[in-house]
Amino acid sequence: MLDWLKYINKVYPEFWRTYLAKFDKKSNRYVVVSTERTGLNLDKDVILTISAFAVVDDSILIGDSFETILLQYKYLHDNKLSNGFIIESKMTKLGEADAIKSFIEFIGNSVLVGHQIDFDVEMINAALEKLECGRLKNEALDIDMMHRKLNEITDKEFTLEQLSEIYKIPQNDRKSSTEDAYKTALLFLKLKSRLGIK
Amino acid sequence: MNTIITRIADFLKEYSPFDHLTFAELSEIAANIRVVNLEKNKTLFQYNDVLHDSFYVVASGVIHLSVIADAEETILNKCHEGAIFGLRPFFAKNNYRMTAKAREESVVYAIPIAVFRPFVANNTEVLNYLLENFATNTPSSTDNENSRSSQISDSLFYTDKQSEMQYFQTLSYNNTPLITTANSIVSEVAQLMAEMRITSAVICDASLPIGIVTDMDMSSKIATGRFPITASVDKIMSSPVITVLENVSLAEAQLLMLKNNVTHLCVTLDGTNKSNVKGVISEHDLIVAQASNPGVLIKEIKRAQNAKELKQIRVRLTDLIQTSIYKNIPLTHISNITSEINFALLKRAIELSILEMGSPPARFAWLSIGSQGRKEQLLLTDQDSILVFEDVATEKYREVKDYFLNLGKKTTLTLQEIGYELCPNGHMASNMSWCKSLTDWIKQYDNWMNTPGESNNNLSSVFFDYELVFGEQKIEDAINNVVFKNANNNTLFFDFLGNDALRKNSPLSFFKKLILEETGPNKDKFDIKTRALMPLIDGARLFTLSHGIKGINNTYTRFKQLAIEDPKYSEIYLNCAEAFLTLSKLRTVEGLKNENTGQFINLEELSKIDKEKLKNALAPMRELEELIKNKFQLTQFS
Repeated sequence: MLDWLKYINKVYPEFWRTYLAKFDKKSNRYVVVSTERTGLNLDKDVILTISAFAVVDDSILIGDSFETILLQYKYLHDNKLSNGFIIESKMTKLGEADAIKSFIEFIGNSVLVGHQIDFDVEMINAALEKLECGRLKNEALDIDMMHRKLNEITDKEFTLEQLSEIYKIPQNDRKSSTEDAYKTALLFLKLKSRLGIK
Repeated sequence: MNTIITRIADFLKEYSPFDHLTFAELSEIAANIRVVNLEKNKTLFQYNDVLHDSFYVVASGVIHLSVIADAEETILNKCHEGAIFGLRPFFAKNNYRMTAKAREESVVYAIPIAVFRPFVANNTEVLNYLLENFATNTPSSTDNENSRSSQISDSLFYTDKQSEMQYFQTLSYNNTPLITTANSIVSEVAQLMAEMRITSAVICDASLPIGIVTDMDMSSKIATGRFPITASVDKIMSSPVITVLENVSLAEAQLLMLKNNVTHLCVTLDGTNKSNVKGVISEHDLIVAQASNPGVLIKEIKRAQNAKELKQIRVRLTDLIQTSIYKNIPLTHISNITSEINFALLKRAIELSILEMGSPPARFAWLSIGSQGRKEQLLLTDQDSILVFEDVATEKYREVKDYFLNLGKKTTLTLQEIGYELCPNGHMASNMSWCKSLTDWIKQYDNWMNTPGESNNNLSSVFFDYELVFGEQKIEDAINNVVFKNANNNTLFFDFLGNDALRKNSPLSFFKKLILEETGPNKDKFDIKTRALMPLIDGARLFTLSHGIKGINNTYTRFKQLAIEDPKYSEIYLNCAEAFLTLSKLRTVEGLKNENTGQFINLEELSKIDKEKLKNALAPMRELEELIKNKFQLTQFS
């Protein structure tokens, strides 16, 4: 209840204060996010990659995108996992702190969109906590929910693959968070127009 | 670099004009693309909209570009995957001159002009390509459809307007006519006409046409002695001269000639006789123009070397059908032309297989059955065929059958490549059961007709609509004889066919509402094929067989013939014939619009008039049904 008292004297990092300041205005920009994680455990697992595309005026802006691989050497080492893919990848590479920081700068006050977005948001919140920041303040939309709402389905969840099939999004055998983010963005456009969201 | 950028660049690289650019350049473009999703029937831009700041590439789906003139929507182009459109902002400042609408759910890439412009400036090939494309996407005056670029490339679907429909092409005519003055002497004019090998001379007064002298006038007025050869030419000229605009269509020219009973038309600058003469259209020009078109297609088919070339021709045929339908050419004419071309295509496909396999070891006949056999295939529906080969010695039988099966397989595959889907029921010459010797076939027909329904051995009524495509006429005659011999007084057989015809689902509910599909992907659409066309087709077949009318396979002509043979019910037959045409047309229009078989009609897209037409066309079916019930006592199987 009086949680805010705990934080009242807390000084947030610079980037977080800028982020909070952005919420004075409402945004017409959506950011479609997809993350790749090592698992679903908020305490133990970590984010490996974050990909995101901006959606403005019913179109995906390919240029306005975010794609970063997080250098989780410690985690990988602790769990005796290979870090080969990090070395091979041509994506931007940043340490977790820097990656989260630039991601926060990228999303600003936009509405977040994703497939089962709660997990992504929670993972990012966990990472933010390590940086002594608060929780994400953005509104979030889940395309699975949108689909279920559209079809009035309450008792079933759909994977991204199933949704892609239903809405005839071409499948690609390459699997990465960027591919997923792009697919999610296309699904979002389709669902958005069907549901009549502005 | 973003993987999606790479993917989009990879996609663009496949298509012109992007194939002229390097991968790095494409990546730069891809990085600035907006991806837009268009719901079905969503308009991207409309006639007279302010120009967008980008042009578009279709990533998936189909976009129709159209103009609306005289309250009628004319489709200029269908843009498929990889096609570019909306180039107007490159070249013009004023608003869009057409409408772009998603025919199905589509995804398009919007490429900002500002990003792309530098590449155009630095690359002439790209520029030329865009200019050409702009020209093809630009509506010119409606009569002038032929002047559009006719370039065909594999990746782009061009509505090739290169004089496909004979009646609506503009004419080529003599544009250096012989012009003389009123006081020239007849013999001199005749001399000039002979020298120039033309059949007319225009008489002008201060370069305005006042009359015309033709071969006709020469023979009827000079050679008969009514006027002396030394008379001045204004004595024998026809006046006033009928004048037309430059881009007159063949149909118009023909009508004008008939209406005014003349053989020559004078082309002037503004179409009246108060402007300069530009040329003369003679009857001969009309004949030449008419001779060229479907004929050209057939000629090209005969020369085609592979399935790909044939496919191109089939695409042009579709355009031809589309143009003719939109111009309200009678459907009977269209289907006659189409079936001729279809047959030529089939024939060529068989020939190509034979060329590859060597000459056949026995004589044979390739018969088209079903809609192809009835010569009613306007759309790319499925292929149905059977193969009959002459009887051979038992020891050779295996080898011969192998050859023909192989021929069947090769040919059906070629046809599939051209765009005729394989028959889902396997009614094709590549099927073991439908590639047999003549004796076997005769047995088969005997079986079907004398013990129908008993063994239920795949009797499908499509086998009674056959037409020879390739091979021996005698073999077809033999089959004909069997069929009509067996049909004679064969109540059991007609009983079966009659029941089969009546079993089709009725199109109207008790309350005279159209019955729509209740489930499946075509929910809420009207199945015009099984609910409306099939009963008419079946009815026509049934009656022609029972009246012993040979050699007529077309449903429309069958009804027409029946009206003559069976005058008592001629009204019903004639109504059915008309209804069949209306329904076929509706189906064809739907099929062309969606590029499918047109089996399911979306009623919501139908205009009110068309809906009425559809309902009225269903009325004669009831009468036909009653007639079947009366005529054949359908008791055995019901």
